[in-house]
Amino acid sequence: MAERGTSGRPEYLTPVPEPRREPDAGALLRAVAQGDEQAFGKLYDLVAPRVYGLIRRVLRDPALAEEVAQEVMVEVWRSAARFDPDRGSPTAWVFTIAHRRAVDRVRAEQAAADRTIRAGAAAVDTPYDAVADEVTGRLERQQVRHCLDDLTDLQRQAVTLAYYQGHTYPQVSELLKVPLATVKTRMRDGLIRLRDCLANGVAA
Amino acid sequence: MSEDVHALVGPYALDALDDIERAAFSRHLRDCEPCRAEAAELQETVTRLADGAWSVPPPGLRDNVLAAIATTRQIAPAGREEPRRAPGPRRLRLVAAAAAVVAVVGAGAVVWTVQDQRVRRAETLAEQARTSESRLRSILAAPDLVVREQQLASGGRVTMAMSRLRDAGVVTLVADGAPGPDRVYQLWTIHGETPASAGAMAVGQTTMVQVIEGLEGTSALGVTVEPAPGSTTPTSTPDALVKIT
Repeated sequence: MAERGTSGRPEYLTPVPEPRREPDAGALLRAVAQGDEQAFGKLYDLVAPRVYGLIRRVLRDPALAEEVAQEVMVEVWRSAARFDPDRGSPTAWVFTIAHRRAVDRVRAEQAAADRTIRAGAAAVDTPYDAVADEVTGRLERQQVRHCLDDLTDLQRQAVTLAYYQGHTYPQVSELLKVPLATVKTRMRDGLIRLRDCLANGVAA
Repeated sequence: MSEDVHALVGPYALDALDDIERAAFSRHLRDCEPCRAEAAELQETVTRLADGAWSVPPPGLRDNVLAAIATTRQIAPAGREEPRRAPGPRRLRLVAAAAAVVAVVGAGAVVWTVQDQRVRRAETLAEQARTSESRLRSILAAPDLVVREQQLASGGRVTMAMSRLRDAGVVTLVADGAPGPDRVYQLWTIHGETPASAGAMAVGQTTMVQVIEGLEGTSALGVTVEPAPGSTTPTSTPDALVKIT
């Protein structure tokens, strides 16, 4: 929805600190659907930092995140022809796949009661990168952050616990000690408010 | 449409439903055009949260992905695909998940038999790491976080991310190299004129992350090079000094 490039602004006037607003993910994805590997490389460069970052945020473990990010990108290649522009933007399609995969992995691992060891091992092995990224990443996410700040505490917690931690809404309800029905409602009205804020704001 | 089911649109957009509820909600969407529109819009919003998770991918990932797609067959367009009642893919996904679980449990069992003692140690370590990691995340997520960075005179840098609200800071130190045999980097919090040790690295270690609790009265964070395994008071001039205001 927030894709740029089709707007009237001439390309040479694009301000410099806007590295990730590239012209047309839709055109790339259409080319990818026809087997264009070069277009896929460009699409990769466009989405990989967010795909990988998102998956790592949810899974915590960099090695596992790399593995899942690879699966996701290959899935994008494999099913590019199934992308339906009527149902959302191309980047949203990619990040939806990425998030779903990450969440599936988290839940499979929770079931195996293995997550503690993985998360722990990750923290022991690679603390520096994770933290450094966390710190520099803050600059990248100012707009999203600004809009998250705009939510009520409960809306924000409900949204971020689900999205960044991969919790189901009953888990969120338990974590926040809030009734199920309230969590459902807060997720919905939180997202609506987020949508309105992102639509009004300047591009990140 | 049932209001009751539709209340799940938020959790649905956030992937916060379990498989069963997700399937139920997808059926609901199939029969409800305005609901589909709302779900799509919220999903679109949700994906903007991915902007908040930007991170440089590992260098090898691109090549691996490109190599993998070179041997991966693409699927054909679906035509006007009716949302599928998906026993096929869904089952597969469950089977894959189950396989992953088995693999993980299997691997775990081997470790147990081989090095039961070690695993217990690793578990304690993991538990500690998990606690400190959640503390670390809570500090970094603080709304009033301030980040300061300084070069190390010996090469490298130290970053202090601190929050008054959490009354704590996170120090990340990355040195270009180890400070020599039997020498280590050590962190100090400085209260007025008095430095207190905030932890020392091991010999040969060049990066560290340290949570510092309690910033009240702390005026600066110092880094020095000390004889291993660290000193009780600094014995050399600061390699870096980060002001805390």
